[in-house]
Amino acid sequence: MVHLDHVTCILGGTQALNDVSLHVDRGEFVFLTGPSGAGKTTLLRVLYGDLKPKGGSAVVAGVDLMRLRSSGLPELRRKVAVVFQDFKVLPERTVFENISIALEVRGVPSASIDRRVRAVIRALDLEERSYALCRELSGGEQQRVAIARSMVVNPELILADEPTGNLDADLSRHLIDLFKQFNTYGTTIIMATHNREVLSWAPEARQVHLVRGQISLPTAEILSGAECVAARRGA
Amino acid sequence: MSTGKLMARGVADMRRFPLPQLCTLVTVCMVALLAGTGLLILHNVQQEVLKTQAQARFQVYWSASSNMTDVETQWADLKRVPGVAEVSTFTPRAAMAELVRGLANAIPAAPAPAENATAANATADNATIADGTTVPAPSPNDLSWLEGENFLPPTALVSFDIPPGEAPEPWMGRMYARLHNLPGVEKVTYNAAQLSLATGWIALIQQAAWPALIFFALVVALVVGNTLKLMMLARRDEMEILSLVGAKPWFIRAPLFANGVVQGFVGSVLSLVCLKFLQTWLRSLLDVPPLFLKVEFLPAWQSFSLVFATTCVAGLAAFIAARK
Ligand SMILES: Nc1ncnc2c1ncn2[C@@H]1O[C@H](COP(=O)(O)OP(=O)(O)OP(=O)(O)O)[C@@H](O)[C@H]1O
Ligand SMILES: [Mg+2]
Repeated sequence: MVHLDHVTCILGGTQALNDVSLHVDRGEFVFLTGPSGAGKTTLLRVLYGDLKPKGGSAVVAGVDLMRLRSSGLPELRRKVAVVFQDFKVLPERTVFENISIALEVRGVPSASIDRRVRAVIRALDLEERSYALCRELSGGEQQRVAIARSMVVNPELILADEPTGNLDADLSRHLIDLFKQFNTYGTTIIMATHNREVLSWAPEARQVHLVRGQISLPTAEILSGAECVAARRGA
Repeated sequence: MSTGKLMARGVADMRRFPLPQLCTLVTVCMVALLAGTGLLILHNVQQEVLKTQAQARFQVYWSASSNMTDVETQWADLKRVPGVAEVSTFTPRAAMAELVRGLANAIPAAPAPAENATAANATADNATIADGTTVPAPSPNDLSWLEGENFLPPTALVSFDIPPGEAPEPWMGRMYARLHNLPGVEKVTYNAAQLSLATGWIALIQQAAWPALIFFALVVALVVGNTLKLMMLARRDEMEILSLVGAKPWFIRAPLFANGVVQGFVGSVLSLVCLKFLQTWLRSLLDVPPLFLKVEFLPAWQSFSLVFATTCVAGLAAFIAARK
């Protein structure tokens, strides 16, 4: 699903990513950890095509990021959904509209939109707020709207940048469970967090540690499962 | 989603940002009004100058022996030539009357007789007819004795409005030749100073018009364009989110384009309404003695161009602002 090799990225003079190689298989759940300023957000931005890497090779969901042009961006974004710490929902629109927008841009027929949005709203326990404007929602509710928007399109990959950063422990736990549930249906998830508690709620997930723009764990650990076995055999 | 639907949504979404939309509308309207006022002034100055300055006057003399019936036919024809503003004709008789009147004014009247002599003079100078009315005696200035052998030729003073877009000099040359070739015409004169003045005015107006038009177009383009871009800041989050969920550029741009077009159109039409009020007011202010300036409204093509240009610029600016 994600194939990064020796990716380098320079932001305003800072080497935000330095020779990063990362491979993630379909259906994996990966935590991206590391101190503030380590480059977690930068790495995610590379993965959804918001930043073009300087060097190396990068392929995400079959899209070659090194050759990505702006005209190819919609194709990538339809396979890769993103959830942010600051939600990025439209405050002047209703919960329903915020979620359905992701289907509308794909040209899904409205009857189908209606059905799918309702299903996700139910799953995320937002039924009572369906027609409330998003600015009238609490932070946790807004984050659930953002997650609903990413899930309703059945993406191949969900990138989440500190999705629980603004939420209390109970709600955070609930959201991680949602991500896990979605992951069991086959969606690949890469989540940046520096919250150890969050890590403990998904112990089966792989953890990738970033420090000063570099992946800091032994090579074996950043390889995907199959490669890991191969590497051990080789040793 | 079809383009039409997207555009309709863009327009419907305008109500979500009432304040930025209103500010933009007011700005667009005021800038278009400013440009419209400029055009209005330019147009009226042009009208005024053309009316008073860009007239060519030819004095046409027929030979004194011409057949008056033929000449009169020619005069009637002359009045129908395109561009002719006025034809003042003088038959030899009329010319004579004019001459007599002119001489009468030029020769000072005899000093008024003393008061006590009035009655005596009246009896002496006026023949009294039976019913009591008096007939004035022939005045010393009476030149009617010349009538029998009138030596004056038939003449016409022909004024033309030089057609807009014509270079005055060659046009005058052609008109001169045309008048001179009329059968029976002996001489044509025209005022060369008048011609060069007219030429000068027309050149000046033409030279002033283009920079002014370009200036107004630039002002409208820059101010409307930047205002629209600013307004799009209010919708920036929306664009970002649409792009994040995989919207194609047209999906993001079509609603904003529609928004811009509506702003440009409504703003410029409102500005024309304001301009109409301004023109009515100016007219009532200036159409008084001694000015008698009849301030006219913009010609239709200029009003249309103003609306069209503003709408295009606004739509284009919104479209471009949506680019990441
Ligand atoms: N737009 C930018 N311009 C210049 N430098 C940037 C920019 N964005 C990030 N950086 C730098 O890149 C480095 C990595 O930043 P990044 O946001 O990826 O860190 P992070 O791991 O997400 O941190 P945090 O946990 O605080 O969110 C930092 O040193 C940061 O200062
Ligand atoms: Mg970050």
